[in-house]
Amino acid sequence: MRHTGTAILLLVVANLSHAQVAAPSEPEMIQQLVLQVKALQEKVELLESQQRASDPVNADAGAHPVNTPTLPAVDSNAPPASLIQELHELRGIQWRGFGEVDYKVLNQRTPELGTYGFVPGSHGNFYTGDFDLLLTARINDKASVLSEIAFGEGEAQIFSVDLERVLFNYDYSDHLRMSFGRYHTGIGYYNRAFHSGTWLQTTADRPLVMEFAHDGGVLPTQAVGLSFTGSIPSGRLGLNYIAEYGSSDTHLQNLAEAGIDDEDNGNHVNVGLFARPESIPGLQIGGSIYHDRISDRSHGPDARLGQTIVNGHMVYIRDGIEFLNEGFLIRHAYEQSSTVYNMPAFYSQISKQLHRVRPFFRYQYINANSGGFLEEFVLRHGPSFGMRFDFNDSIAFKTQMDHTKRKGRPDLNGLHLQLAYTF
Amino acid sequence: MHTKPIIVLVAIWLAGVGGITAAVAQADDVAVVVSEKNPVANFTQPELRKIFAGEKRSWAGGQSIKLFVRAPGAHERAVLLNLLGMSESEYKKYWTAQVFRGEAQAEPVALFSNGMQKEALTTFPGAIALVNFQDVKPGMKVVKVDGHSPAEPGYPLH
Repeated sequence: MRHTGTAILLLVVANLSHAQVAAPSEPEMIQQLVLQVKALQEKVELLESQQRASDPVNADAGAHPVNTPTLPAVDSNAPPASLIQELHELRGIQWRGFGEVDYKVLNQRTPELGTYGFVPGSHGNFYTGDFDLLLTARINDKASVLSEIAFGEGEAQIFSVDLERVLFNYDYSDHLRMSFGRYHTGIGYYNRAFHSGTWLQTTADRPLVMEFAHDGGVLPTQAVGLSFTGSIPSGRLGLNYIAEYGSSDTHLQNLAEAGIDDEDNGNHVNVGLFARPESIPGLQIGGSIYHDRISDRSHGPDARLGQTIVNGHMVYIRDGIEFLNEGFLIRHAYEQSSTVYNMPAFYSQISKQLHRVRPFFRYQYINANSGGFLEEFVLRHGPSFGMRFDFNDSIAFKTQMDHTKRKGRPDLNGLHLQLAYTF
Repeated sequence: MHTKPIIVLVAIWLAGVGGITAAVAQADDVAVVVSEKNPVANFTQPELRKIFAGEKRSWAGGQSIKLFVRAPGAHERAVLLNLLGMSESEYKKYWTAQVFRGEAQAEPVALFSNGMQKEALTTFPGAIALVNFQDVKPGMKVVKVDGHSPAEPGYPLH
């Protein structure tokens, strides 16, 4: 065994010396380290088996080495963490996939949320939602690339491909991180924290106010342009900023009638500030202001309006608790008239991890003015509750009940079952 | 009076308990180690939390921080999870989310031994890792936490 240890040491030194001479890039170096570990493990197994074979008397003792350190029990079937990382890397490109299978039932046949493959007017059906592929690659120590490709089910079993995000990132320092490309806008917390992969979110769906614009949401959730973020020297307050400038050309799916309004022209500006105070780990409090000029073709070809969206959020995530709260004021001011619509909205969501189970409760509220740009939403509010069960670190099953009160329309009750996974 | 012998006995007992406590603390303490070239001398716990959560990604001089952690099952891993207030599955989910958000390139590299951590610290000038204090080797620079060195009273990581 002493010779085995010496051989391992020599191999490590030799390999690392070679690595230093060749001066490979950082991902290559990590890859080499992982490969070295695997090679060494195989070498050790080979040497041990040879030793046992040559020394049959001590074969039993060799099978139970005395000096093997005892570690806390871990899942013996789970692959090592470094191996998982290696499996998710191909020639320096990290990749990860997200998928889902859904079943949804509503108690009303009136068309509602004609998205994600859910057939409007049907009592219940299966759909696959978004199938997401995330690719990231580090170009050098400061620069990296990220892309998110979603295969979405628009209508029943008709799929489309969407480049949800494609970003060139450059981290100049902790105070200035730059992204260029298509991003999810920093309107509030949820849109930057959760993207298309539903496995990451506790609930089966996004809060209605945070729903993607092309899936029936009210906010401009995507844009192409520049995004800057970073920390602000602020001591224990932990202030961070976000600033975005880009084209928020989005197609806003009409929630009730499956029509499409084109929300285009002009560039948006979004600035936000949030604090992560050191005294309360897990807490984030912040807000943002977004402004854009958009068109409302339902009011004529030249109808232009200023869209201002103010957000405030308070989030606490720690020790298994997830407590998300966001409020919005969406203001539409028509340029050709003095007409102004103010639309308040909020959601509050709380959940707690209890071993593999995470029960959750959410309440959401949207109040749209009749005659306004988003009038099909009307006043709607109600609770959702359910449970997420994690089979393991990659597969989760969610069950969610929704009750939504709608002004001038029957209440809407829904059951949503979802199998979400990552790989 | 018999008070003097009692006081002496109590003092001896307290000294003994203190010694045992210090020995236990030393045995369990986990050191924060960086490259010898790194000028950093002290971390606060919130700073450490930000670093190991990937929120702080650069050293003061602009050098990128390179995180190395121990694989699940190691004592250092348990101390890391305690520092972050996460379970093992929450930690994995957190880093998957960080990568998906574009906040990180990849989950921190998980290494199987402290020897590998030492090699990583030698190879990457911006590296930082948690190592059992007993396993600290030459080439590893131990950084104070909240003004305390490992094995000192008040050291928080154990």
